[in-house]
Amino acid sequence: MQTASPGNRPYLLLLPAAILLIVFMAIPYLNILVTSFRNPGQGTPYADGYTLMNYARIFSSPLYQGQLFNTLWIGIVTTFATLVIGLPVAFQLGRADLRWRGLAYGIVLSPLLVGIVIRSYGWTILLGNNGVINRTLINLGLTEYPLPLMYNSLGIIIALVHVFLPFMILPIMSAVQSIDPAVVSAARSLGAGRATVIRRILLPLAMPGIQAGCILVFVLSLSAYVTPAMIGGLRVKTMAVTVVDALLDTFQWPLGAALALMLSAIGAVIVMIFARATRMKWKVG
Amino acid sequence: MARQALNIYSVIIYIFLLLPIAVVVGASFNSGEFLTFPPQGFSLRWYVAFLNNEVFMRAIRTSLWIAAVAMVVSGIIGTMAAVYYVNYAARSKETIRIAMLSPLLLPEVLTAISLLFFVYAVGIGTTTMFGLLVGHVLITLPFVFMNVTSSLEGYDPDWSMAAQSLGASRWTRFRRITLPLIKPGVFSGCLFAFVISFDVFTISFMLKSIGSSTLPIQLFDYLKTNYTPEAAAVSTVSIVVTILVVIISEKVLGLRVHRF
Repeated sequence: MQTASPGNRPYLLLLPAAILLIVFMAIPYLNILVTSFRNPGQGTPYADGYTLMNYARIFSSPLYQGQLFNTLWIGIVTTFATLVIGLPVAFQLGRADLRWRGLAYGIVLSPLLVGIVIRSYGWTILLGNNGVINRTLINLGLTEYPLPLMYNSLGIIIALVHVFLPFMILPIMSAVQSIDPAVVSAARSLGAGRATVIRRILLPLAMPGIQAGCILVFVLSLSAYVTPAMIGGLRVKTMAVTVVDALLDTFQWPLGAALALMLSAIGAVIVMIFARATRMKWKVG
Repeated sequence: MARQALNIYSVIIYIFLLLPIAVVVGASFNSGEFLTFPPQGFSLRWYVAFLNNEVFMRAIRTSLWIAAVAMVVSGIIGTMAAVYYVNYAARSKETIRIAMLSPLLLPEVLTAISLLFFVYAVGIGTTTMFGLLVGHVLITLPFVFMNVTSSLEGYDPDWSMAAQSLGASRWTRFRRITLPLIKPGVFSGCLFAFVISFDVFTISFMLKSIGSSTLPIQLFDYLKTNYTPEAAAVSTVSIVVTILVVIISEKVLGLRVHRF
């Protein structure tokens, strides 16, 4: 008797997910590549025929190159800042004997439960010319005029560091947790000082977490839309903002596709250089 | 002491993490017409304004509906794939894993653009919510897959074998052994799918049809032109609801919510 149990034809279990990912991920991603070589249209998203013009336009435009460079710069600084800020916190959270571990873990996790629009909104309240920080500084007499904290790259970086910090702390924390305390004790009993233990044992063993965190934060910062759009306003545009606007407002699909792919390709190259430089062992998840 | 310094440093970082959220909550009780600091007084007027604002209420209903659909579809498809991955996949294991996690590994903005082009190329367009729903299912799928997979990790194939030798049919074995084992993973995966879908921005932004704005989109559009604390009231309600869902799931249902 034939039944609907998964035992008879187990591949049926995978079928819906496979169809979904092929039809709505793989094919659309190939389609975006094709679109980037299409002729721009007049009043339509694109016209017949193929061209290299969209890529040529990026290479000849100082505006797009400037935005591309600025986006990469923001991504690199954000990644570096989250690493420097998050590393000590991750090491502390990874220790089993921490008293307030549950609470601390909840605080690190909490921003992930609050929508990204709300978190960016919080930063506009803090960083604006009449915002909490500037008002406080002016009232304390520390500055006469509001400091330029918003509508520039600095504001975008501050907000992005906040938004992506959990993505740096959590992978490093789980790498630290898997370090055998006996290794540290052994090193100390052999006369290694605190600095030596950190440099020679803890950091190398936490490296997979550091690499995962850096790549995650870098990729997320490059493709972030909400935070740069809300903090940067009309004055500072990152590539993701330009791309989304080019597609939704001016319907320049081939150009938008070329810009998005260019950003992703450069991002991927930087990730690979980083992985090679830090001798990363590739393992997903 | 170095340990003392590290503690102080960590507390500063925790304050930094909570600060923007606290500011939004604080601003929602401002009685003034605009977001001013220091606040002008305590008032619940912006909560009243929000509850009477049909645009926001409709956005909340849309968000809840999309999150529910994405949760159910991802829950079913993701669970099936996870069961296959753990129990049946052999050589293709790593490929399946990377494919299932791909919506998480690839930039969301690129996925959103490619889906937008695709729904237009096949003639569906954004007149219906189809593209939007597909996008939400794609983004939430990895979370169901990860959670179910990790709950199946302690699965001992001997149990199934033992049941088989005692005469249990395949269906009985699936129902009585596999299903109870993966239940916590399915529940927490679905919970994650719901929470993630509720927050998804870029995909909703690019694939929204007229009248299908989700709450994050509506809030974003509102903040472009409005500076009243009403947006803070909306945000606060959204934060409280999410935190309540997670706390209830953890304490009452005993689920462990984890992402990594």
